[in-house]
Parts: sequence; structure tokens; C-alpha cells
Amino acid sequence: MIRLSFRLVGRVSRPVLGRGTGHTPRRDGSGDPFYKRSACWATARRQCAFALMVMIVLSPLASARPPYKRDLGNYLGTFLPAAVNDCRLCHLPDDGDEHPHNAFGKRMRQIGNQLRAAGDENDIPTRLEKISAEDADGDGVSNILEILSGHLPGDANDVPTAAELESAAAKLTAFRRVMPTYRWRPYTPVAAPSVPKVDGPWGQNPIDAFLADEHRKRDLTPRPEADRTTLLRRVTHDLTGLPPTPEELHAFLSDSSPSAYDNVVDRLVASPRYGERWGRHWMDVWRYSDAAGWTAGNQIRDSHPHVWRWRDWIVDSLNADKGYDQMIIEMLAGDEVAPDDPDIVRATGYLVRNYKMLSREKWLQDTVDHTMLAFQATTMACAKCHDHFFDPHTQEEYYRLRAVFEPHKVRIDRVPGQVDTKIDGLSRVFDAEPAAKTFLLIRGDDRFPDKTPLEPGVPKNLGGTFKVEPVPLTDGAIRPDRRPGVIRDLLKSANDAVARAEKAKAKAAGDKAAIAELELAAASAERDSLKAVLAVEQIEQAGKKSGPDWEQAAKDASAAQRAKAVAAAKLAVAQAKGDAKKLPAAEKALASAEQAAQAPASTVFQRRDVKEYPTISTGRRLAFARWLADEQNPLTARVAVNHIWLRHFGQAIVPGVFDFGKNGRLPTHPALLDHLAAELMKSGWKMKPLHRQIVTSRAYRQASTPEAGNLKIDPDNVYVWRMSPRRLEAEAIRDQLLFVSGQLDLTMGGPDIDHTAGMKIFRRSLYFRTAAERQMEFLTLFNVANVNECYERKEAISPQQALALYNNPLVADMARRLAGQLPETAGAYVTAAFERILARAPTENERTECLAYLEGGDVRRQRESLLVVLFNHHEFASLR
Amino acid sequence: MTLSNRGCGRTRRSFLADTGLGFTGLALGAMMFRDKARADQTPPDGRPHFAPKAKNVIWIFMCGGVSHLESFDPKLELNRYHGRNIADTPYAEAAQRERNDIIGGNPNHGNRRVLMGLATGVTRHGKSGLLVGDWWRHTGARADDIAVVRSMWTTHNDHGAMLQYHTGRHPREGPFPTIGSWTCYGLGTLNQNLPEYVVLGMPPGDCCGGEWAHGSGYLGPEFAGVRLNPESTDPLPYVRPLQGRSTEQQQSELSLLGRLNSLAGIDYPHDPQLRARIRAYELAYGMQTEVPETFAFDREPAHIRELYGMTGGPTVRFGRQCLAARRLVERGVRFVQLFHGGGGGGEWDAHSGIRANHGRLSSEVDRPIAGLLTDLKQRGMLDETLVVWGTEFGRSPGAEGGDGRDHHPQAFCAWLAGGGIKGGVIHGQTDPIGFHSVGGRHYVTDIHATVLHQLGLDPQRLEIPGRQRLAIDRGRPIMEIIA
Repeated sequence: MIRLSFRLVGRVSRPVLGRGTGHTPRRDGSGDPFYKRSACWATARRQCAFALMVMIVLSPLASARPPYKRDLGNYLGTFLPAAVNDCRLCHLPDDGDEHPHNAFGKRMRQIGNQLRAAGDENDIPTRLEKISAEDADGDGVSNILEILSGHLPGDANDVPTAAELESAAAKLTAFRRVMPTYRWRPYTPVAAPSVPKVDGPWGQNPIDAFLADEHRKRDLTPRPEADRTTLLRRVTHDLTGLPPTPEELHAFLSDSSPSAYDNVVDRLVASPRYGERWGRHWMDVWRYSDAAGWTAGNQIRDSHPHVWRWRDWIVDSLNADKGYDQMIIEMLAGDEVAPDDPDIVRATGYLVRNYKMLSREKWLQDTVDHTMLAFQATTMACAKCHDHFFDPHTQEEYYRLRAVFEPHKVRIDRVPGQVDTKIDGLSRVFDAEPAAKTFLLIRGDDRFPDKTPLEPGVPKNLGGTFKVEPVPLTDGAIRPDRRPGVIRDLLKSANDAVARAEKAKAKAAGDKAAIAELELAAASAERDSLKAVLAVEQIEQAGKKSGPDWEQAAKDASAAQRAKAVAAAKLAVAQAKGDAKKLPAAEKALASAEQAAQAPASTVFQRRDVKEYPTISTGRRLAFARWLADEQNPLTARVAVNHIWLRHFGQAIVPGVFDFGKNGRLPTHPALLDHLAAELMKSGWKMKPLHRQIVTSRAYRQASTPEAGNLKIDPDNVYVWRMSPRRLEAEAIRDQLLFVSGQLDLTMGGPDIDHTAGMKIFRRSLYFRTAAERQMEFLTLFNVANVNECYERKEAISPQQALALYNNPLVADMARRLAGQLPETAGAYVTAAFERILARAPTENERTECLAYLEGGDVRRQRESLLVVLFNHHEFASLR
Repeated sequence: MTLSNRGCGRTRRSFLADTGLGFTGLALGAMMFRDKARADQTPPDGRPHFAPKAKNVIWIFMCGGVSHLESFDPKLELNRYHGRNIADTPYAEAAQRERNDIIGGNPNHGNRRVLMGLATGVTRHGKSGLLVGDWWRHTGARADDIAVVRSMWTTHNDHGAMLQYHTGRHPREGPFPTIGSWTCYGLGTLNQNLPEYVVLGMPPGDCCGGEWAHGSGYLGPEFAGVRLNPESTDPLPYVRPLQGRSTEQQQSELSLLGRLNSLAGIDYPHDPQLRARIRAYELAYGMQTEVPETFAFDREPAHIRELYGMTGGPTVRFGRQCLAARRLVERGVRFVQLFHGGGGGGEWDAHSGIRANHGRLSSEVDRPIAGLLTDLKQRGMLDETLVVWGTEFGRSPGAEGGDGRDHHPQAFCAWLAGGGIKGGVIHGQTDPIGFHSVGGRHYVTDIHATVLHQLGLDPQRLEIPGRQRLAIDRGRPIMEIIA
């Protein structure tokens, strides 16, 4: 058990000890807040490896920190022999609860203290470097050689053999060659690193220079440029989510100018398709979800209706190349920066999406957790119940972040042209309770709030300034139903009702004529009443709440409302004629309405139901958004470019795009990441220049074909010695199918389309409803994003997908439609089919196969059948 | 995500796939994900951790909450104190011990303090003298094959507990891997032409778990249950060949596809993605015939269909599902999930008129379930097939509205049979009115752990890189019922 107890020893965090140690769920659940804890752990689950074990076997006398051990492994990588990848490297074997340092451990601590005192970097790699040539245990072998040979540098009795020493020396040489030279400091503001000097074509684009530097160290030979057809399809799909047309292919192939490729890239990033393609990517990261709920109960349980306006904002913003910093501000605080601009307020759909009818706790929890994951790649969720075990964030800081969002709620404002917010509206956030207090929840349990309310704040270790200033709101935001546009719409709606009634009356005959007459009267009375009430409002808005003008207007309103009641009651009586059950009540209602109408004139009337919202917003979210979008924030730009890189190359620079913390994985190219982050900020946070820099790099333009020598050295292509072949995303497969057949409807934006209509309506896939359990079946078969969490897609290849392409009537239909558009002669048919579907000409062998196939039976059938085969071709669903 | 650069292209697994050792495209794709191991967590390699007792699981779930009191844990004390307020009985203390780990009962359902006698008769069955409500007399007759666990408990007091029963997590925590997905993740597939994890019947409604109740959460979509509908002519999306496309045409198309894919793969030797796709088409081709063939019930002799109650009456529908389950297991499907009474909060939700509700619903399922056990046994399949019966919670000993029973997460029962489970065993107990589980209480994941244990998997060792599992997710095997 020595190893086990060593492993479990962890840094013991203050609040855990301070708030009790009963963290193991009691199996009988008796009286323990069992469930609450497990709920908290659920959200803290992400990559909290070790954390739980530490909690379960709490050892108050902790001395080794798992992160230290991890640092060592990160630094030495595969050069660290398993035999010393162990706490015994620095510690003596378990002696009760004590784990004292051995000679090496003592020296590591000592040098660490010295470095710290001198104000130098004192992390594990630095310390190790400093003392690598020393011999801590005095057995005649240097620390580093002992480690590399798999022996303990702190144990004089553990000595390598001569042969082991020899191989360790060779390992040391190899390690020195590839050892990390650039320090990964994710919590330090980005500073542009110097670009390595690389001769030749790989020295031109800094991206290539950074990659070539690693190639050189590892004896990797990058692949040559991909052939032009492959390249064109790759970049076109990558930037627009659609393949190139044959015309675009031919134009590119025949353009021999040196700027041919750059021109293509310019054309693609300028295309509105770019915003749709990359909008869908960011929708993954920002957890886009349409409303979901319990249909039968007519309950909205998650997200909100009309949240598609935020989706359109994403597409529009990307197409306009709005700065990422500005996008952050608009999504988190659009209602505070531009309360009167619905084009900006719609961006707060980002927050609206977290709405959870069933639990405000979970709503706020998701908001904090996912905001920190999406923009900061920080597993803040771990700190909901205790200080973060790996990253320098406290539990208190978690609740300060929560306080940023505590006041906010969701509402639906009216939009021009529609008075019924059920049909359309602007779902947005606002600070509903500016004074709402936030308490630290002890052990994350909402039944046990701490006593002192917490001010909003941001994690100290991420730096920056966070200054909250309340934002005074405009009239339109405070009383949105008083906006002139809304009043116009109300009047129009009332006028329309009258006009409809007039039309109906003109057509009605016989018995129905009387009813139509009464309906018209009711509609007119309704309109008059509305007008009268609005007249009072107008006087009041001018500041007069009494006086003869006001009195007269109020009396008019009262009279109009009485008339409206009588008209409605008359109609009800007429409609109830012949219905013995309803008639008496209707008659009684009419009598009382008429009686009320006879009463003396009064200034008492029913006011319009105008919601009034708080006059100020706390400014907390704006302060937070500004802190996020500040160039001094160390993570924002790094995290963003990592997401972008992932979607260009199929692999991220920091694997595990949602965790830049100690418990995440190390970047493969930290200097490159910092370079890209610096570039993003330098260009005013605009993404298009970054895309351009990436897709014009040699790295991006490489062939994806494997190469045996490289495969041996780097089988996983971690160092990007080729382009990685990828499977297309679900949306790209469906859109491409429709597009190459000439059927894709490129209409942009608008309300989410019924997800069950995906095989009948030929709009782009991102416009269809996507919510928990409301996703297009075809897309789900191709691993579409889980709306709850999808920082990185997982593209599998499954037989259900094969069925969905092969047995899909839509595919057969597209084949039929496309066949009709292709040339008659067999040779031209085959070429055109390949160019349309796979965006390349067939090879000679392929042509021979296909020509033979076309002759295999009924001409029309074989032609369509060939297209079906190409729709099922591996390349159709892949990028090479 | 790229398979090639994430998966280890040239590992033992791709070698196996290359040599065709029973690894299908589906499994191949799945395994490539598993290859993304982090050094400190070991995902399963598709082999059991220790010698398994069971190979397959049939997991039968009753949606809405079956009364434990009138099924496998009858309480005659309720008849004795029928109509009395619980405070006026010797068991007054039980009601005062409302448990704070259970999310509160719905006050709209009344106070449920007046005890209600059993709405059905009871009979002792088998050598163990298992007391069973007469609504379940056919299943009761199999008493010597089953092990009843009478001391289940859960934490959610509404029908989201259906999701919780399958994931171990409260529904508001969202989707987590279900027991079926863990099974497939841990062991992989047994067959060439069918999914590993098949779902029959209507899952709970979207209020209460919906598709998540057979989902795979963070394990990824390839481990989610695939719904097959034995009632439909299209039991799996797109499984039927297109109309007018003959077998010869299919063969010539797929063969051209194979040749074109190989030609296009010349520059990509050993490309795992291309290989996965080729295998996916092979498996898909097989599924086109295998799935409909599995549901060709007319190939079963009349006496077998009779055994499942498929020849008429209320049992026809569920009988068909039970028989489908057996036929799926025969064809190597690892995990078959049967839902009964799904949609919305579940049909078994007898807030009123429990006699009519439970009487009708049990008449639909009792005979088919007993028939399934009998059939599995007579074919020798019960040795390696683990059958699990359960529901999300029990029902209250006190009456709701005079003739119904309310939700009751404090106590309910489940039973297991076959796959190395002891027959004729009663494990755990409730107090004399069935209010609280009192002896050897088991949270729902203990059933999961028992299933995994019988399949040769140690729940403690079932990991996926990048995810931290809780002790509560894993549960502990109920060793007392294991042979």
C-alpha cells in the first residue's frame, strides 16, 4: 500500500479541512447531504483526476503534490522511466503519515527556495535543470543520469550499471535535443515570442517556422504541398463548409499566377458561407441550444424560444469580422453596452441559453462553469465545493464569479411587427435583481450558504482589473412595451382586427350577419379602448398625472373600456344563443356590463399591462466581459486561437481545449500558440486575418498522405508533418449532399426550422432546431454536437452512417436530380460526376471502373446508381 | 477529431482488425477512441477484468413506478391497518423519519398518512416461499430462478428517477452514461451484424430522461443504445434497402464502392478511417437483412409465441418485445433494454385507481416476462444471460386520494435472474409497512455494479480518460445474491 498512499497524498486545501472531512458518500445515505454533494461533483468531474481520490483519503500531513509529479512527467515526457515515475523519486518510503524527502527531494526543495528568494522561476523543470549535473545522494552518478537510467537520485544504494549509464547518456543527448525550450505560462499575459530562424520556404510564414523548428529537432520531414484539387477542396470546406464547384476548380487549376491560392482564400473568407461555417463551430463552443422542454406540458425547461436571433448574430458578426473582444462583450453584456440596440442585445442569447426552469442553481452553475470553460479553458467548476486542487483558484473566487451573474434573468421583449412574444420576440437577459446577494455555499451545497455575502470578482491569479460600475438604462429597456414601435404594432394589430371583422361582415349573410356585426362592434370597441388608454399614457409621459386634460382622457378611457365590455358581452350572448348551458351566464354578464356602463363617469380604468424593469443594470457582467476581453487576460486569446487551430488541423495545440490548467495537457507548440494569440490581438481580435495566416501556411497546405519514416517517429502526427485526414462534420455532409446536387437553399438566418424536416427542406443544417432531444436524426447519426457540452466533436465512423447515406431516399433523390444535370456522353458524365461530388477529376483507373459500370445495365439506372456510389465514397465524407 | 492522429494507427487493435479477428468497423471506430488514453487512466481493452458469468444482459424496466407493496415485497400489515392513520399504528415512527436526502414529496399529492391495504391478493411461490402479489403470479412461479432485492432506494421523488435508475445521477445533472453504455464500453461487441446495445419499447418522456435513459453521456455516441422498433417495418433508421433497389444492384453498387475506395486509398496505406468506413459498409449491409430477420417472429413455433403471450390478449405487444430480446441475445447483442409503459412520466404512475392501473399493466407484462425466463432456461441461455427487472421507485404505503399510491423513493424492489445470480433468494428488507428499506440498503448503482461484476467487469476499474467518476457512479456488487 505504500504506493497507493503516496499517490493519494495531496495538497490539502483549507476549506476542505475547515468544513469537515466527511467527503466520502455514506453508502446508506442516512441523513447525509449525499445527493447534493454528488451533484457538485458531477459538474466538477471534468479532468479532476486525483482530486476525488485526495478527498476520499484525506491525509492532513500531505507533503507531495501530484502536480509536481505531473510536472516532472510533462517535462521529461517519454524520457522518464516508469521505475522512477513515482513519489519515491523525492520522498522516502511511507513511514506512517510522514513522507519525508530523500536527499534528492531535499535538494530540490532547497534549490526551489533559493530560486524563489532570487525572484527567479522556481518550477520543477527549472529546479531539475539547475541540479541535473549534481549528485544528490553522493553515489557518483549525476542526478539526471540516475533518473534517465531508472534509478533513484536520492538513494545512494540504488546505482545504475555501466551499461545502463551508457544508454542513459545517449538518452540525455536525445533529450537535450528535444527538451522544451519555451516556457508554457498560461497565466502570464501573452507576449509575442521570437520566431525561430528557419531557412527556405518554411521560414516565410511564422507558423511554419515554429513547426519546422520542431520538425528539425525530431528528424521529421514535412510532406510536400498537396495537389491543387485536394487543397482547393480542403480550404473551401474548411472556410465555408461546402465543396468547390467545378467552375471554381477549373478556374483555380488554370490560374498560374503566384497569387492564385491567396485569391481563393480571400474569396472564401469574404463569402457569407464563412460566417455560417465558423458560426456553427462557435455554436459548439458556446453551447448553442434552441428551446427544449416538456412538450405535452407546454413548458420551456431549457434555453428559450427565439434564441435563433443569437445564432444569426454569431453568423453576422463573423461575416463582418467583428473583433472577438467585442463579441465577448456583446454576448455577456450586450444589454448593458447597448440597451436600445436589439442587434446587439440579441447576442445575450449566449446567457439566455443557460436558462433552466427546474433549477436556478443549475442555471447559474452552468453559466459560470461553461463561461470559464469556453473563454478561459478553466475548470472553475472544481472550485464550487472546495479550492481548486490543481489551479490557483479558490472556492471563494468561484462564488465571486457567480455573483457576476446572480442578478441576471431572462425575458422576452417584443419585436417590431409582432405583439405576441410567443410567436416571435427577442429573448435576452437583464439584471432583474440588482441587489441579489451571493453566498459561498459550504461544500457547494445550496442548503448551507455561508453568512457573508460576496462581492463579484474574478480569479486573482488571472490578473487584470475588474471594475464594476452600474449602468443606467434607457426608457426603452426599462419599459420596453412603451416603445413607440410596440405601440404602433398594438394599434396596427387592433386596426387589423377591425379590418378583418369588416371583411367578414361584408361576406356574411343570414344568421351570421348579425354575429359578424357584433364581432365588428367588439373589435372596434377594443381598438377604441386601446387608443383611449394610450392617450392617457401619452399625457402621463409628458409629466401630467392630474389636471383637466388628464381627467378627461382618463374618463374617456374608462368609458371606452365600459363600451368594450358591453360589446364583448353582446357578442358572447349572440354566440351563446341556443346553448342553454352558456346563455344564462352570458346574459348575466351582459346585464352587469350594461349596468356598469350606466354608472357615473369615472377616471378609474384598467391600465395597459406594461412591465417595468429595474432602471439600472449592475454593470457586473460588463466589467467581467471587459476583463475577459482585455489584452492582459492571459487566457482569452490563447484559448480562442487554440479552438481555431483545432478546427483547421483536426487537432489542437493544447489538447483538451477546455483545460489550460495544471490538470490539462501541455501544448505541443506553446510558442506557436502564443504567437497566434499575439497576432489575434494585434489585428484587433479579428479572426479573418488569422484564418488567412493559417490556411496560407505550408503546414496547412501539406499533403495528408502518410510517410513511413515520419510515421515511425511521430505516428500521431503531433508535430504536424502532414495534414491529418479528417471526417467531415455532420452538417457539412448534409449541406454538401444538397449543394453538389444543386439543391441547397442558401437563404440565411431566421427562426429555427423543425428538426424533423431536414430531409424535405433544403436549407443549411445550422438553421434547423437543435436542442436536447430535438436534433435532426440524420445529423445525430453523424455525431452532431451535444448541445450540453461539445468543446470538441467526436467524429466516429459507424454502420448507422453507412445506412443513412446508402438507404436514404434523399440521397437517391439527389442522385436523380444531379444525373439530369450532367452531360450525356459516358466519359464526360463520369468526369462531371467526380468533379461535382468529390471536387476532383477521376483517375484513369477510376474512369475505367466507372465506364464499365455505366455499361452494366439500364443507362438511366446505372447513371443514378453511380452517383449514389460516389455519395457513399469515403472521400465524400472526408477531408484529405 | 481525426482518428488517425488520435488513435494509435499501428496498434494491436488495428492489427486485429486487419487480420479480421472478429472486430467490426463499429468496434474499430469505438476502439480508436479508446486508444486516446491518458497515461494515468486505463480504458478497458474489450476484455473482461476477470472470468465472467454472464455474456448478455436483458434489462427490463417498468416506467412510472411499480408498487413494491403489491409486487415483490407485499406487506400484510397494510391489510391489517387499512384505513388507519399511520400515526395510530405501531409504525408511526416510520413516517416521522422523512429522509432529507430525498427531494421533497409533492404536497399536491396529499399527506399519504392513511394506510391502504393491498389492492391484490398475495401468494407464496417456490422453495423460498417468496411472497408475491397476484398481479405477478406468472413471474412469481419462476421464484426459484430469481433473486429479489427488496431494499432499493433512490433520491429523486419524481419520474426523473427513471433516468437516475440508469445513470445513477439525479436528472438535473444531465446526461451520464447508462449501464448499457458502460457494458458496451467495457466489453465491446459480440456480433457482426447488429448494434451492441439495443433498446426496445418506448423510453421515458422528455420530462424524465427521454433518450438519455439509454444514452451514453460522455462515453460518446457509439455507445448509446440503438432503438429498434419491432412493431415497425423500419426498426432502425434507414435499415431497409430502398424500394426498387434489388439485391444484385446493391451488390454491384457496394462492390463498385469497395473498388473505388481502394483506388482512392492507394496513397493512404493502412488508413484507419478508410478501413473503418469499409467495415462500416460491410456491417451495414449485414444489418439490412439481420435486423428485419431478428424481428421475423413468424419463424418461431406456435408454442413459443404462446409462451410469450403473443397469440392474443393484452400480452401481445410486450410479448413481442420479450421474444425480440431473446432473439437479439441469440444473435450476440450484448445489452437489450426493454421499456414498458414509457412516454411521459410512465404508465405505472398510479396516483389513483391503482387496482385498475396496476391490474391492467401487469396483465400486459407478467406472462411475457415469465415466458422469457422459461424460454431462456429451456434453451440453456439463462446461464449466460442476466435478466434484470426494475422500476424507478416504489409506491407509498399510505393512500393518495383513497385508491392510489404516491411516489416512494424510500423503498422499492428489483430482481435479477440468470447469469450467475442465485435463484430463490430474497435480499434486503423493508419495515413491516414497506415504508423504509431497513436492511442492506442499495442505491440503484449497486444493481449496475452487480451486472458489471457478472459480466466480468470491475466497476472500480471502468475508466475513461478525462472523466472523473464518483464512488456513487460505480456502486458495489450485491455479493449476497451472486452464486
